Amino acid sequence: MAATRIGSLLHALGLLIVLAFALFPFYWMVTSSLKDQTELLASPPVWFFHPTLSNYMDIFADTKVTTAVLNSLIVAVSTTLLSVILGTPAAYALARFEFRGKADLWFWFISNRMISPIVLALPVYLLSRQVGLLNTRLVLVLIYLTFNLPIVVWICTDQFRSIPPDLEQSARLEGASQFDIFWRIYLPLGLPGVAVSAIFAFIFSWNELLYALVLITSQGLKTAPVVATNFMSGYELPWGKIMATGTVIVLPVTVFAMLVSRHMIRGLTMGATK
Amino acid sequence: MSFLKLDKVVKRYGSIPVIHGVSLEAKKGEFVVFVGPSGCGKSTLLRMIAGLEEISAGDVSIDGRVVTSVAPADREVSMVFQSYALYPHMSVFDNIAFGLKMAKMPADQIIGRVDEAASILQIGPLLSRKPRQLSGGQRQRVAIGRAIVRHPKLFLFDEPLSNLDAELRAQMRVEIARLHRNLGVTMVYVTHDQVEAMTLADRIVVLRAGQIEQVGSPSTLYDEPANRFVAGFIGSPKMNFIEARIGAVADNAITLSHPAFVGGTLTVERAPLRPVSPGAPVTVGLRPDNLTIGSPNPILNLTADFSENLGGHTQIYATATDAPQIAILANGRRAIVRGATLPVGLASGRVYLFDADGIAM
Ligand SMILES: Nc1ncnc2c1ncn2[C@@H]1O[C@H](COP(=O)(O)OP(=O)(O)O)[C@@H](O)[C@H]1O
Ligand SMILES: [Mg+2]
Repeated sequence: MAATRIGSLLHALGLLIVLAFALFPFYWMVTSSLKDQTELLASPPVWFFHPTLSNYMDIFADTKVTTAVLNSLIVAVSTTLLSVILGTPAAYALARFEFRGKADLWFWFISNRMISPIVLALPVYLLSRQVGLLNTRLVLVLIYLTFNLPIVVWICTDQFRSIPPDLEQSARLEGASQFDIFWRIYLPLGLPGVAVSAIFAFIFSWNELLYALVLITSQGLKTAPVVATNFMSGYELPWGKIMATGTVIVLPVTVFAMLVSRHMIRGLTMGATK
Repeated sequence: MSFLKLDKVVKRYGSIPVIHGVSLEAKKGEFVVFVGPSGCGKSTLLRMIAGLEEISAGDVSIDGRVVTSVAPADREVSMVFQSYALYPHMSVFDNIAFGLKMAKMPADQIIGRVDEAASILQIGPLLSRKPRQLSGGQRQRVAIGRAIVRHPKLFLFDEPLSNLDAELRAQMRVEIARLHRNLGVTMVYVTHDQVEAMTLADRIVVLRAGQIEQVGSPSTLYDEPANRFVAGFIGSPKMNFIEARIGAVADNAITLSHPAFVGGTLTVERAPLRPVSPGAPVTVGLRPDNLTIGSPNPILNLTADFSENLGGHTQIYATATDAPQIAILANGRRAIVRGATLPVGLASGRVYLFDADGIAM
């Protein structure tokens, strides 16, 4: 009895340490964004200070930041939607149908993720220039889709495979079309996987810096991560603004992840069989 | 005119045949049970009737129409799966209504149909629950409700009771029999449980390794099994088999020899179905419930081994030279002494004989 209590105490302590380690950078970012420049540069760091929103006022007064956040939103939301719309039917097919070249297709999906993005940066740049897609949001959506689709297909295929095949057969016997089966059975029951892969797709597209930096040069189309790094040029380092922009960048992802995570309940298929 | 007809249907997975040309006919309203050991192809055959499994060769007709290449949904059949296959994210109502919605039935009619099915199965109060909030027996009822709501021409059941405990199984067995009587619809029911087969069936189809061994009413299969496999499969407790030899054959009697018989021989007073020659091997079948202990004219001399008290009956296990285990189902409670000599007589029924190929003779 006593042993298990000490055990769970240690367990909780361990979790706390890990949590602190993970959350400290966020804490530092958010608090720094609320400090003024003198408090920010104080050494040793000040733990108690008068919070101020002046950094936020500054960045929101700057249309560069608001446009960038809007650009990021457009790109990330479109990419996420397209990844899910295109990826889930592919995952269903891979999970439940036998067709020629299935194994190769599967391997191709996986191998897409084996390549480091930077290796492709130059070819992609040249290609986009050739087809006239440089400096468009579309090129980012297309590139991010290429990186996100494998993840969506991967996670959702696995999720769909765990759905008892009897459900599909029963539905087929009851007159459901192939689309009905996908829409009314696989999607709702595979929602945890769809949600997880949507979060991955969103986070990836939202945070991606390399391609956004390389393929977009016109100021009005830049995405948030690019603009955040733009502060780090010239002779001053406006930490407060960088931190405030960082906070603004993290916020939508957090909100999105929290909204979607409701669907990540396990055991959704419980009660189907037996 | 047969309602359901299988004409030399074959199923191959790749090049491996699983169903070897099965032909079968069932009348309208008949309760047909497919029975056989696990892996013999019962489910495959049922799913071929449903259209869920492609037919490699042969034809299936339902109600006079060849449905071999008709889509499952257009065959007007309902199936209850072994796993129930309830849609876990839908309420009981939506589970039952699913097929009707797919058929684009107007909502008010759907409600009427679901209510009708729910009242037949007494699941009215459960309609708003999700499958995970139901007990095994309730899920079973919902699965049956989903099958009856569409008013199909043919019901297919694939081992629907195998996930239930013994008590519920017996209860649902009675309910399925009642359902069949009330609806009067043709049903094909798959089970590996010969008690279910005996109690539910108008006609039993015994399958082994993708082939029909025998088709007949429960009492036909029990009284006149066509072969040793059917004899061993139908009837509980299982038939005893003694590997004997033909001693002598007369016009109206066969004499069998084996050390377990009193005096080393047993004379069966009937003509063999086919000509047999003395000295040929023969399998003698005796049902445990036909055997009795303390009979004035015993046919077997056995050595008592052990007994099981079943309440109203006692199952006694005995041995003899060249006969490892012979079971006797005796009325009442019998105490036996291990190693004691046990004279056993034939109280009723008959002596079953099978030739070297296992065919009844
Ligand atoms: N998809 C499949 N591929 C290959 N063999 C199969 C497949 N499905 C079933 N079988 C084989 O077919 C035989 C009959 O299976 P089944 O109809 O499920 O038996 P039962 O229901 O009588 O237990 C088994 O030997 C099984 O291994
Ligand atoms: Mg089976």
